[in-house]
Amino acid sequence: MSQDLGIDNDTLREIYTQVSRIHQVDRAIQAGLSSGKFQFTYWPLTGQEGIPAAIAPLVTNDDHMVTIYRGIHDQVAKGVPLKGLFAEALGRIDGVNKGKGGSPHISDPDSGSMLTTAIVGAGAPIANGIALASKMRGTDAVTIVNFGDGATSIGAVHEAMNLAGVWKLPVIFLCQNNQMGEYTRIPDYTASTDFASRAAGYGFRGVVLDGNDVVAFHKGMKEAIADARAGNGPVFVEARTIRLGPHAGVGDTNHLSKEDLAAAKETWPVPRTRKLLLDNGICTEDELAAIDAAAEAEVKEAIEWALGCEPTGVEEMLLDVYADPTVVPRRGQRDKRAAEEPFTGEKRELPMFQAIQDAQETALELDDSVIFLGEDIGESGGVFRCFQGLQEKYGERIRPTPIAEQAIMGAATGAAIMGMRPVAEIMFCDFMGVCMDQIANHTAKQRYMSGGRTHVPLTVRTVAGAGIGGFGAQHSQSTEAWLLHTPGLKVVYPSTPSEAKGLLLSCIFDDDPCVQYESMMLTYATSEEVPVGDYRIPIGVAKVKREGADISLITYGWQVMHCLNAAEELAKEGISAEVLDLRTLMPLDYDRIFASVEKTGRALVVHAATEFCGLGAEIACTLNDTLHGQLKAPATRFGAAYAPICFAKTIETEQIPHAGTIAARVREMLK
Amino acid sequence: MSTTLTIPKLQMSATEGTLIEWLVEDGAVVEEGQPIYSFETDKSVQDIEAPAAGKLTQKVAAGETYPVGTEIGEITPA
Repeated sequence: MSQDLGIDNDTLREIYTQVSRIHQVDRAIQAGLSSGKFQFTYWPLTGQEGIPAAIAPLVTNDDHMVTIYRGIHDQVAKGVPLKGLFAEALGRIDGVNKGKGGSPHISDPDSGSMLTTAIVGAGAPIANGIALASKMRGTDAVTIVNFGDGATSIGAVHEAMNLAGVWKLPVIFLCQNNQMGEYTRIPDYTASTDFASRAAGYGFRGVVLDGNDVVAFHKGMKEAIADARAGNGPVFVEARTIRLGPHAGVGDTNHLSKEDLAAAKETWPVPRTRKLLLDNGICTEDELAAIDAAAEAEVKEAIEWALGCEPTGVEEMLLDVYADPTVVPRRGQRDKRAAEEPFTGEKRELPMFQAIQDAQETALELDDSVIFLGEDIGESGGVFRCFQGLQEKYGERIRPTPIAEQAIMGAATGAAIMGMRPVAEIMFCDFMGVCMDQIANHTAKQRYMSGGRTHVPLTVRTVAGAGIGGFGAQHSQSTEAWLLHTPGLKVVYPSTPSEAKGLLLSCIFDDDPCVQYESMMLTYATSEEVPVGDYRIPIGVAKVKREGADISLITYGWQVMHCLNAAEELAKEGISAEVLDLRTLMPLDYDRIFASVEKTGRALVVHAATEFCGLGAEIACTLNDTLHGQLKAPATRFGAAYAPICFAKTIETEQIPHAGTIAARVREMLK
Repeated sequence: MSTTLTIPKLQMSATEGTLIEWLVEDGAVVEEGQPIYSFETDKSVQDIEAPAAGKLTQKVAAGETYPVGTEIGEITPA
């Protein structure tokens, strides 16, 4: 032990070893890119080597890390194997993520590197979920989420800090303040340059540490990590450093003056840490040279190995989108999926909202890893009354959240990556926009970006408020097409209490992220005999709700009711309309869709969502392509007019399909 | 094994770059890390270092602009 430094010699050697490994990786990547040997996007970490190196001796593979695209140094120090790392950056099948994530999306759960985002700040809400899982499982693991100073400007980080504070999560928010947000320096993007003090605003401790001084930084991090491990909640660490390279590419930054760059290089942890060990007699020059040579050899071997790996083949394209590749919609697809067996057991009369509560309670009883997150789902029993008495009974598994959809979706995503089965209530489906980055860029893509190393078995429940009137344009939308356009998500939309229960239970126990839309038109108004116990309806199975011979009305959600009413109207005129309730929108049940339309020869897809670019257009087009020559009329679609939902009931009623307008369209098609 | 030198993509937006001048003679033996040519892309000039040690063969002339990926030379073990 060196008296002066207060860190034992082995630890200092370990820190320098990591500094050297990171440096050799950085050098080799820059050499490869500048000679043209490699062609991938690189966000150099030069100057920031000391931060993860000093942390490495303080964590194990059981501690978790989330980082960003400028994070190769974090990956190296966390223990991601270099062979797999280089192969990943080169887009090779033997990469840690099969070459599907690439240089900006490395993850390796074996070493605790759980997710790397290329969306600034978006890792913070996910880190909360990872930490939540560790905490609920009673481990003392900590999660360190790395981001740059630029990320302190983005909402996701603030939502995440607030949630971590209120839930006392074992998270370290590690801001690697390299003094530049992409191409913009600090005084130009914020008037508040003291980032650590922001933690006080969320009720926890923030510290500023010199990220280029491995000794001071190691000691500060030791305290922060111990604090989080002990259950004292999150710590915000601002690690002051300076980026010597450009935002992306290779070489020196051109955002610093010559003088500033020279001054910055004086504090560069690579030569500085080396000198520190020499000056304090911790290592001899020969020992340091041996560490450097070993690092260089490790990197060289990894690169040679990676260059010898096969590029990821085209046959991988549709794998890892979902656990089951047949879920991916493909031209000509007609997979047959078995429907649920007729239920013969005990039933009881329930409105839809109570059937949903029943499903939630059933899931809580079936599996300890099921947890619920959402606004107002605690004592108040939920805005939609689906959580009555649940918090009392299930305690911390029912987790009321702040009003912060990004924090909710991030926490659910992180917990799901850890193997829990979180269910998030996003109160109205209009609020999907608030958390769309989490859902579309993280929840939906993680299985693919990780090459199947991790997946996200979460469920979102959300309410569509349209049709009742009085909610206005921001609480009445039908947003399902937003999600359907994002590969990786499954979407269900029940129209009866039993189906709401049966589909929700299937979603909760599905290994892919699922979103259940619930229509407020049906939540309280419909009631029926609902199966008791663990009742499931398979995802991806449509159901004929009324048989007919002249036309298929293909629909879902509360439009099923309108289509059934329209069919009743039309029957009086001698027109026999079949009503097919899709129940699941992704994956679509093409087999039952085709079967119905082959029988009737005509199809009208009806939905409450905007007609333009809606699911109806997709289905109608597929029908016209596939059943060309067998149709009596071209398949078509009928959705909402192209306008925000109007507050005035007179307009809202008319802008969305209803029995009268649906029947009118059918009459036109049969003319 | 020889190492091919190609016009690098130093910035995300780069599609081409100018080889301003060769800093070593054609046929010279270079050390790994030794600056070998001066390169301009997106208004910034920097010296590109040899990715390997050996004899450098120049394949294109300096003073010209080339697309990213163009082969400009090679280094063969001396």
